[in-house]
Order: sequence, then structure tokens, then C-alpha cells
Amino acid sequence: MIEYDEIDRRMVLKLVYYGPALSGKTTNLLVLHDLLEREGRGDLMVLDTKDDRTIFFDLLPFFISAPSGLKIKVKVYTVPGQVNHDATRKAVLQRADGVAFIADSRIAERENNVESFSNLEKNLEIVGLDIEKLPLVIQFNKRDLPGIIPEEDIRSVWSPTGIPVFMASALEKRGVIETFGRLAEMTFDSIDRRYGLQENHGLDKAAFLEKLSLSAQRA
Amino acid sequence: MKDPARPDTLEFVVGSEKKLRDLLNEQEVLPLLKGAVRAGASGVMISDAADAVMWEHGTSVNSPLYAVQPFSLEGETIGKITVSGSDGNENYLKGLLCLLTDVVQTMLHNNLKRMLTTEMHTRVVNQSYEELLKSNSLLAVSEAKYRELAENLEKKVQERTDELKQAHARLLQQEKIASIGQLAAGVAHEINNPLGFIASNINTLQKYIGKYREMTEYYQSEISRIPQTARMQTAAEQKWKELKLDLISADIDDLIRQSLQGAERVKKIVSDLKGFSHIDEGQEAVIDINEEIDRTLNVLTHEIPRDAEIIRDYHPLPGFVCNPALICQAFLNIILNALQARREGLRFVISTDMRDNAIIVRFSDNGPGIPELIRSRIFDPFYTTKDVGKGTGMGLTVTYESITAYHGTIEVESEPGTGATFTVRLPLREN
Ligand SMILES: Nc1nc2c(ncn2[C@@H]2O[C@H](COP(=O)(O)OP(=O)(O)OP(=O)(O)O)[C@@H](O)[C@H]2O)c(=O)[nH]1
Ligand SMILES: [Mg+2]
Repeated sequence: MIEYDEIDRRMVLKLVYYGPALSGKTTNLLVLHDLLEREGRGDLMVLDTKDDRTIFFDLLPFFISAPSGLKIKVKVYTVPGQVNHDATRKAVLQRADGVAFIADSRIAERENNVESFSNLEKNLEIVGLDIEKLPLVIQFNKRDLPGIIPEEDIRSVWSPTGIPVFMASALEKRGVIETFGRLAEMTFDSIDRRYGLQENHGLDKAAFLEKLSLSAQRA
Repeated sequence: MKDPARPDTLEFVVGSEKKLRDLLNEQEVLPLLKGAVRAGASGVMISDAADAVMWEHGTSVNSPLYAVQPFSLEGETIGKITVSGSDGNENYLKGLLCLLTDVVQTMLHNNLKRMLTTEMHTRVVNQSYEELLKSNSLLAVSEAKYRELAENLEKKVQERTDELKQAHARLLQQEKIASIGQLAAGVAHEINNPLGFIASNINTLQKYIGKYREMTEYYQSEISRIPQTARMQTAAEQKWKELKLDLISADIDDLIRQSLQGAERVKKIVSDLKGFSHIDEGQEAVIDINEEIDRTLNVLTHEIPRDAEIIRDYHPLPGFVCNPALICQAFLNIILNALQARREGLRFVISTDMRDNAIIVRFSDNGPGIPELIRSRIFDPFYTTKDVGKGTGMGLTVTYESITAYHGTIEVESEPGTGATFTVRLPLREN
């Protein structure tokens, strides 16, 4: 959590799209921006890029207000996937409330996925976040491409971990909302447990998701 | 504003909220408002989410017409723009307001982007710089450590090994000395008594034999005077020859002399043993080492080969407190060793000096030198290079013990073929 101010009644949450370089993190955010056209969704902030590769981060903010008057801002970030931008990844990852790991489905990218995931584990530890408790979803992107790891293989690897896995093609706008929706749900649950969003602020999960324009899209 | 889970973190966090005032400043906003007034509005005003006026221009008082439009940041409404004007140009005013809002909205977006970028840039640069510094210094430290380790490892191991070897050797030496000391004391005592009566008995025996000889000679001369004993004389001479008494009586002298010499040598061994095992006995006195060396050389005059060249390179020395007999014995043994090293053309240099609060005495000869193999053993008790029976093997051990008893050291350098140098170092005692 970036910020929680009881007097000002303001809560700022952070969701982070993590993953290897060119796996489609920025594309995911672009698609979310396009699909979640509504009041409360802020502008997509694409910070400096070099040859379309993220150098700092991208940011898609959402603003929600709870019946209690609590203002909640959900800031969705992407990190730069390139190995050399580790300092930025750490900075962005700091105080994250949830992480979506965007993997590249292509068999050739297997190594990069593994490396990036262990980088995520390492950096979570560095910034003091417990991967066991942090809301985490995994997206296997670029399902539209040939030479991809079969879905059964992916499921058999990941289902024992209990981490939700989504097949997606950000380019074709498939699986993007589902990934974000599940991450939002899990994040709601974890924040609700600690801050009583429903009990203290009258904000239930359905309302939270609806404010992010997710329920309608997912139905 | 702090996260209750992480209090007191002042550090910048990616995502911290920006205030309207952080994102818009007067220099940017005022020209905009002035422009709107020039364009026909009577007053323009920007207020925040709590309706507090932040910037305004012109006058809204008494304006019958006004239009309001909110603007937002990150999806949240954070303020509004109010434009007021006169009747009749409502559409114009609304158009102006839309334009203004778009401009403010764009300003906000661009300023936020610039802010996030510079913040991030600064943060990444700082963090990278700090990390770099940290890892660099860590690296430098560990590198230096490893380099030193690698460079000195062999040396260190060698040093430790040498230390251990030396300690072990010293220990062995001490044990050896101690047990030999006890043995020597016992042996000396046991040997001295019988040795005493052996020597005196041999002397007595010599006298007795002399008496038998006298008696025999008396018989011989008396018998030759009696004429009737011619046959007996011949028989006696016959018997004399048969018993080889001429040879025997000549040999008796040798036998006795050799026995006495032998006993003398045993006595010498025993006294060396005694000197060796009673090193810490005796009276202490202040001596001048130079004088003592001279005295020792005097005692040894008969041992010094006639053509030997003895060079004394003495320097004035402070008085040295010791048991003079012991130190003399120590020097005597070194000197004897040198004198025996070479019988002809011996050149023997004795030098004395002071260095680092210690007396240094060097004895250099031009003898055959000491092979490296035995150099380490010459101070061992009973070790001798002389033919068996000639040396006692105690000389240099006694020296070693005497010198070390005064916390001194003795070292030998030798280049086989060119001689040997013994260096004795005797530290002056504190106060
Ligand atoms: N075929 C296909 N291409 C995709 C898909 N998603 C993204 N891409 C392409 O992959 C490339 C990289 O996408 P980005 O979204 O910029 O990747 P990123 O993860 O943000 O990369 P970094 O910023 O370097 O970490 C772009 O050319 C995208 O068009 C997909 O689902 N299918
Ligand atoms: Mg990117």
C-alpha cells in the first residue's frame, strides 16, 4: 500500500505488472485503458520509452470512492522487463498490493520467464514483501503466436502452486481483463481483511470490481 | 501521511500522491487566466476539490453569468474552473471554459509525467549510485582481502610451519636438555667415585710395579755376583726371554700412562656434564666480555697452532652480569672448536660490538666450514664431528645452554670451504 491516511480518508493501492522484457506488460495496460473506459479511470501515463521498451514504468490509475467517503486510488504499474533496469523494478515493486506476472508463452522465452520470476522473488524479498501472502496472478501472453508452450503443460506446472493462471493475447485483447479482474479481486480480499473495506467503508467486492468496470466486462 | 504498517518511512515511494499545488504553478496558470480575461471573460478562477480558491483573475462579483467545469487527476476530480461573464455570450463563455479546462488538464498530465520521470530518474540514479558505491566498496574490501590472502597464503603457511617446527624443536631440545641434565647429574655422581679410586689405584699400582721391578733388578744383580749360579743365571735369562719381560716392562709404562689419560678424559667428560647440568648455579658478577675472551685465549695458549693468526676486533662494551665461569666456558668451547677446525694457516677473527642493547660477539674462522646438514645439530648434546673418543660432544651444547640461560642467541653461518662464523648475541638485562 502506497498510502493510507485515515484523517484524509484516502487509500492508495499499488498493483504491479511484472515479467520479462517484451512479454506484453505495457500492451496489457494499453488494452485495460482502452477497455475500461469510464469515469474514475485516469489517463494512461507512459513514461519515457526507448524503442518501445519501458525504461521507467507505465501507470494506469483508477479512482474509486467508497460509500463511507473513503477515497481509494488504484495505481496499476508496469515495470521495465529488461534485465538492466533492476533498480527501477525494485522501486516500482516497493509496497505493491498485488502482482500480475506476465509471461511470454513462446517456448523460446521459457528461460527468460524463469529468470524474471526468480528476479521477482528476489526483489519481493528485498522490498520486504512475502510472496506467499501477496496477491499474485500469472498470465501467459501471446497465445496467438506459434511455438508456444501447450496450455496443459503450463497448468500442470502451476496448478500445484495455487496461483491463478490466465491464457491471454494482449494483442487480440483476450485474457487481459480476466487477469486484471482476478488480481483486483484478490487484492480486494487482502485489503478487506486488514482494513475492513466492507465492514468499515461499506464497499463490497462486487462494488469494488464494478467501480473498476470489471463486473460488466467479465459477465 | 504514513502507512501504518510502515511508520517513519520518509523515503520516496513510487506512487506517492501529488497535490494540485505541486502540479500547477502560478507562472504557468496566471498567464492562462489573464488570457481568458483578455478573451472576454470578466473573471476566471481555479479552486481545489474543497472549493478553496487557488488562483483567480478579473472579477466575478456582480457577474450575472458563470460556468463551471471540473478537472481531474488520475481519475479523481481535484478541482474546478469557474468562468464568469456578462449576459448574452453564454456559449462563448462555455467554449472558453472548455478550452481552459483542456489546457489545464494537459498541463497537469504533462507536469505529472515530468515529475514522475524526474523523480524516478533521480531515484534510480541515486539508488544505482548508492548500490554501486556499496558493492564497489564491498568488492574493494573483499578483493584486497583475497589478494592479500592469495599473495601471503604461501608465506603465511610457511611462517606457521616454521614457527611450529621451531617450537617443536625447542620443545624437544628442552626435553632433551632436561632429561640429559638429570641423567648427567646422576651419571656424574656415579662415575666420579669409582673414577676417583680407579685413578688413584692406577697410580698406586704404578708405584707397586716399580717396587717389583726394583726387587727383580736386585735379584738379577745379586745373582750375577755369585759364580756358582751361572747355570741358574742362564736359566733365568732363558725364562726372562720366554716371558718377554723386556717388552712387558716397557709396555707397562704405556698401559699405565694411557689408563691415567683415559681416566683424565672421563673426568673431563664428567665435569662438562656437571657444568652443563648445573648451569644456573654459581655466583654472578659483572664482567667485561672483552677481558673474558682474552683470558680464555690465554688459558688456551698451548692449543693455539703456532702459525695461527688471531685478530681481535674489540669495541668497548658495558658490563655484563653473569656467572663468569659459565660464559667463559661458552666462549672456550667456541674458540676450541675454531682452533681444532684448522691446524695450519688458521685465521681467527673475534669481534665484539653493541647493537640494539645487546652485546654481539662474532667468532670467524677459515676452517672447512660446517655442512648445512649438520649445522642444525652442532648444538645437540653428544653430537660431535670429531673421531669417536676425541671430542666429548658436549662443547657446543654447553655453549648453547649458557648463552640461552642469559636470554642470548647463538647462530652459526657457514659457507663450506670458507669457514664458519658463530654469532653470539647477549641482550643486556633491563635496569
Ligand atoms: N503476437 C503478440 N504480440 C504481443 C502480444 N502482447 C504484446 N505483444 C508485442 O510484444 C512487443 C512487446 O510488448 P510490450 O507490451 O511493449 O512489452 P513489455 O513487457 O512492456 O516490454 P518491456 O517494457 O521491455 O518490459 C510489442 O511489439 C507488442 O506488440 C500478444 O499477445 N501477441
Ligand atoms: Mg513495457
